[in-house]
Amino acid sequence: MKAVKTQPLWRRTLQSNIGYLAVVFFLVIFPHLVGWMTGDSPFGVNGRPRGQSVFWQSVFIEVFILTILAMSYNLIFGFTGVISFGHALFFGLGGYIMGLALERSGLGAEAALLLGAVIGVVVCGVLGFLMGLVSLRLRGVYFAIFTLAIAEMVAIYIGRWPVTNAEDGFPLANMPELINPTRNRLTYYYLALLLVIITFLFIRRLMNSPTGKVLLAIRENENRAQAIGYNTLTYKLLAIALAGMIAAGAGMLHVILNRKVGPEILSVTYTVDPLLMTIIGGVGTFSGPIIGAAGLHLSERIFNREFVIGTTSVNIGENWSLILGIIFVVVVLVFPQGIVGTWTRWRSRRGTARAPAPTVRAANAGD
Amino acid sequence: MIETILEARRLRKQFGGLVAVDDVSLKVARGSVHSIIGPNGAGKTTFFNLLTGLYKPTNGQVFYKGQDITHAPLYRRAHLGIGRSFQITNIFPNLTVLENVRLAAQAMSNINFRLWRRAESYTDFTHRALEVLELVGLRDMAALPANILPHGGKRKLELAILLAPDPEVLLLDEPTAGMASEQVPELMATIASIRQRGGKTIVLVEHNMNVVMSASDVITVMNLGKLLAEGTPAEISANKTVQSVYLGELYNVEG
Ligand SMILES: Nc1ncnc2c1ncn2[C@@H]1O[C@H](COP(=O)(O)OP(=O)(O)OP(=O)(O)O)[C@@H](O)[C@H]1O
Ligand SMILES: [Mg+2]
Repeated sequence: MKAVKTQPLWRRTLQSNIGYLAVVFFLVIFPHLVGWMTGDSPFGVNGRPRGQSVFWQSVFIEVFILTILAMSYNLIFGFTGVISFGHALFFGLGGYIMGLALERSGLGAEAALLLGAVIGVVVCGVLGFLMGLVSLRLRGVYFAIFTLAIAEMVAIYIGRWPVTNAEDGFPLANMPELINPTRNRLTYYYLALLLVIITFLFIRRLMNSPTGKVLLAIRENENRAQAIGYNTLTYKLLAIALAGMIAAGAGMLHVILNRKVGPEILSVTYTVDPLLMTIIGGVGTFSGPIIGAAGLHLSERIFNREFVIGTTSVNIGENWSLILGIIFVVVVLVFPQGIVGTWTRWRSRRGTARAPAPTVRAANAGD
Repeated sequence: MIETILEARRLRKQFGGLVAVDDVSLKVARGSVHSIIGPNGAGKTTFFNLLTGLYKPTNGQVFYKGQDITHAPLYRRAHLGIGRSFQITNIFPNLTVLENVRLAAQAMSNINFRLWRRAESYTDFTHRALEVLELVGLRDMAALPANILPHGGKRKLELAILLAPDPEVLLLDEPTAGMASEQVPELMATIASIRQRGGKTIVLVEHNMNVVMSASDVITVMNLGKLLAEGTPAEISANKTVQSVYLGELYNVEG
């Protein structure tokens, strides 16, 4: 213990984040690694997205987007203890606002991107705040159902809105060349990775701040938090507004990657996915949403196809939802703290030599 | 002239058909130890919940330093200087013991919306928390998650959370509830030491009659939601009505 304390700060920071740094390093070289192993260029062929490296870049960009979404969900669900079923609303609106800014503002690509990002984030922050204001007096499941109702209402309305071509949506063509995911997918890959890192650092910073500690207190015991003098509603509004803003960012990355905006980005999938990813990875941990998003999305991309074993062929794709459901039930029953939670707990049980190891959620700043 | 710090005026709380607190008026003098006793279900905890704002009264008013606080929410009353501990332990189970108390110390500060610096870098609150943990005898357990403390430890933590923000009025709802009897004197000594430092008003709900009789300036007796009697410990032990309702436990005083 003492030896660690006397080391300079940068060294301690480096040591305690060595795992994360290794992951980031791997992700930075990953496109080139795949390129080197398969012989396909990580830059595509003649400005066309061809080859294994480019394919895997898009898979990982999807993982990054879902990671950001899951981290934002974990902020309210895992750290503040508020269960919302309306998270898709922020993801979808972020996407729509970005799409409208790019295609309908009449501005140049760069200016439109900036405008869309600012408006989308602000609108979703304000909306989260207002939604919370109206409904946070409801507790637990009533709040969850209210948020679901609002999100579904917006989804249905936008699915019929002529301005955005109702259920067909509209394609995106006007975007800055540098991040155009068709021609410059590698840059887009690094942009998405950078945003994952920024979101991660922001949330970790927040959760270690005085405000973050209050959020944890609310999750742990809202009544007592009020009794010792915290106006818990204010903190919950802040958490929901921040989570809404981050989810909006994920939605923007998603529509630019797919070069299309449509009502499916408002569907309940984008609420259920981050929920499952957070639970499977580890609720209220820093790395849980990352592991959950990567684990679920990569396994879906890898297994979601037809397998031929001998003479029989098994089409897992058709049964993917079923398999996901089974995974979920198993995780909830066997690892109620999720993967990260269970791992940390197991390690702290073994490490008898270490100082009394707090349980996962007690530590909460550790991983 | 005795100054009233906290006052209940004809407080009433009804749960459906049940009147848990029935027209109770009471004045707590500044600097006193005012105990509220009564059999199980008398309405003592409900009365505390009305004073602290956890429940809204069906009727009646609450005054603090002459100000009507009947409609002030829970957290605002905490800021005014009213703190309370709970009969049923009410802590932050998955946070460390230190963090439980540090959060209580931080609650009255102006750093609650600092999103950027680490909470630990505001060392005043950590020091305050450690000081309080020392006082209640939990200093050595500071790094443990609160939920693994034994019951007695949780009761001490309950008290530490109350003490950390340094409230003027302390409402203690059966601080020794469920504690092993050999631990009771230690906890009561802690409470006595708080009193000796002066400036504090203590409202105490307690079943242990030895504790109540020796520690209180004034005792209020409640039964079935109603105020039954009020007086000094000597007056209360001599009171015939009280004896008839509460005989069994009053015997403890003599015994
Ligand atoms: N939230 C509630 N809803 C319905 N009834 C309640 C509620 N809280 C308390 N009561 C009822 O009000 C009455 C008074 O309860 P209270 O807890 O205030 O008693 P008490 O004097 O604190 O008892 P004890 O000594 O057992 O702690 C009891 O009959 C109880 O069942
Ligand atoms: Mg009680």
